[in-house]
Amino acid sequence: MEKVGIVGFNQVKMYSDANYGRYEMIFEAVRGALDKAGLKKKDITTVISCTNDYYDGRTISNLFTVEVGGGYLVDESKCEMDGAHAVLYGLMRILSGNHKLAVIWSGSMPSCYPYHSARLYETDPTWERPLGYVNDITAGGFQMRAYMEKFGVSKEEIARVAVKNRKNATKNPLALAEAQNANLTVEDVLNSEIYSDPVTELMVAQPCDSVAALLLAPERQALKITDNPVWITGVGYSQEAYYLGERDLSISKSMEIAGKTAFNAAGIKDPKNEIDVAELFEAYAHEELILAEALGLADKGKAANLNSEINGDLAINPSGGALGGNPPCATGLIRIIEAAKQLRGEANGYQVKGAKKAIASGQIGMCAQNNILFALEGSD
Amino acid sequence: MTEKVIVSNKGLVRADFNFWVGKYMDKFYDGLEQKKIVGNKCSKCGDVFCPPRSVCGKCNENLPLDQNWVDLPESGTLQNYTITPYKVTDRRTRKVKDPQLIAMVQIDGSNTAIVNRLLNITPDEIKIGMKVKVDWSEKTTGAPSDINGFVKV
Repeated sequence: MEKVGIVGFNQVKMYSDANYGRYEMIFEAVRGALDKAGLKKKDITTVISCTNDYYDGRTISNLFTVEVGGGYLVDESKCEMDGAHAVLYGLMRILSGNHKLAVIWSGSMPSCYPYHSARLYETDPTWERPLGYVNDITAGGFQMRAYMEKFGVSKEEIARVAVKNRKNATKNPLALAEAQNANLTVEDVLNSEIYSDPVTELMVAQPCDSVAALLLAPERQALKITDNPVWITGVGYSQEAYYLGERDLSISKSMEIAGKTAFNAAGIKDPKNEIDVAELFEAYAHEELILAEALGLADKGKAANLNSEINGDLAINPSGGALGGNPPCATGLIRIIEAAKQLRGEANGYQVKGAKKAIASGQIGMCAQNNILFALEGSD
Repeated sequence: MTEKVIVSNKGLVRADFNFWVGKYMDKFYDGLEQKKIVGNKCSKCGDVFCPPRSVCGKCNENLPLDQNWVDLPESGTLQNYTITPYKVTDRRTRKVKDPQLIAMVQIDGSNTAIVNRLLNITPDEIKIGMKVKVDWSEKTTGAPSDINGFVKV
C-alpha cells in the first residue's frame, strides 16, 4: 500500500449542551485543522463528512454542511457510519491517486435530538422496531450479561474500566466535563442509576456534542506539510449479523476479523507486545474488554486482568476513550486523532512514553455490530 | 440551545411509513395469527431460523420459499435478559412505572433468539436457561403484537 499520512487534526471540546450552532462547530473543527497544519481552503481536494440523517433531522444531511466543511466546489461525499469509516473512505480517495489532501470531519449534537430513541430506528421496521424493546441501551444490557455469563467476569471488573477511563479523561482537556472524575470508585459506578441491568449510568459512554476533523495526504505531500506525519499502516473492517439473536454477544467476531486484516497489512504479528497504545471505541465499559480480547490483546474473558493504565503493560484509552465523551459519528474519528497525538508525542498529561505503534477503532450498530480498526505508526 | 428554545420542530409533515414485510415474514405473521410459530431450516447446516430467513448467513445457502418450513413449539429457553426502567420508544428519555424485563428467548427447535418481554415474573426469579413459553394476546391479528411476551413454564 502506498503510504498515506495523517497530517493534521482538530477537535472541538465535548459538551453535553454546547453553545454552538451546528455549522459553527463544523467550521471550527475543519478550519482549526487546516490552520494548525498551515494549510488553506484551496489545498483541499476532497472532503468526506460523517453525520447521520436521523441525528440531523433531515435527509441528505450533508447538504447544508458543504461550505463549512471545506467542501465547496471540491470532490465531496458523505459516509453515514462512524467517523473512523469516513477516514477509510478518505484513505481510499487518496489511494485512488487523484487527491492530495483529504479533509474528514464528523460529529453531531445530541443535545438537539433524542439520541437513544433515534437508535431505535436501527432496528428492523418489520419485526423489532414495532415492538420497541431494542435500542442501544437494552442491547448493551444483553451484551454485558452475555459477556459476564460466558466468562464468569464480575460487574466489579467491568466497572473498573469505567473508573480507569473516566480518570484518564480528567487529563484530557477536550473530554466531556460530566464524564471526568478523578475520585470515582468501583462502588460509585455500580451504584449509579441502572440504565439497563446490568449496565449502569457510569458504564455508558454519554452522547455529547462535538465535531472532529482529520487531514490525510499521500506520502509526498504529507512530508511537505509536516515533519511529523502519522502513517496509516493497515485498516480492517467487518460487519456481523443484524439480529441480536443470531450473534454471540459475548465476543466480537467482527473486531477479530477487522484486527486480523489490519495487523496483516501492517505486518504486526504479536499485537499484544508490538502495540504501545490502543484507542478503542467502547460504547460501554464491557465493550473495551470484549474488543481487546477480539484483538488478541488478552485471552478471552481475561481482559480485565490486563494492566491497561496509561503507564501499564498496554495503555488502552489513555484519553478516556468513548467513556470520556461520545459525540455520535465523531467518536471513532476522535480515537484515531487521540492515537495520532500519542504517536506525535502531543498527548500532554496522558502521553504514553515512547509510543511508536498504535491502533484505533470505530464502531457502529447495536452491540458494536460493525467494527473498524486502524493500525498507525509514528515518524522516526 | 442553553438559554431558550427558539424553534422546536415537531415536523410539519406527517410521514407514516408502510413496509411490506416480505414473503418470508408474511408466512411468519400468518402463523402468529393462528397462534403458531414457524421457522425455516437451512438444508445444508440444519440451522433453524425464527423469524425465517431467505438465505442462511453461515452457508450462503438459499432457503426456498416453498420448502423446509418448520412448525415450532411455543416453548423456549431464556438465553439472555436485561431490565430497564426506561421506555425505549419515547421521544425523550422517560421512566416507566414498572421496570421492563426484556428477554432473548430461543424457541425450542430453533437456533436463533427473539427479543420480547418477560411477564408475570420478579427479577430474582429469572435464571438464564429457564424454560418459558409464549403468552399470546387474546385477539391475534398477524402482527408483532400477537406475542404479549414470555411467561415461565
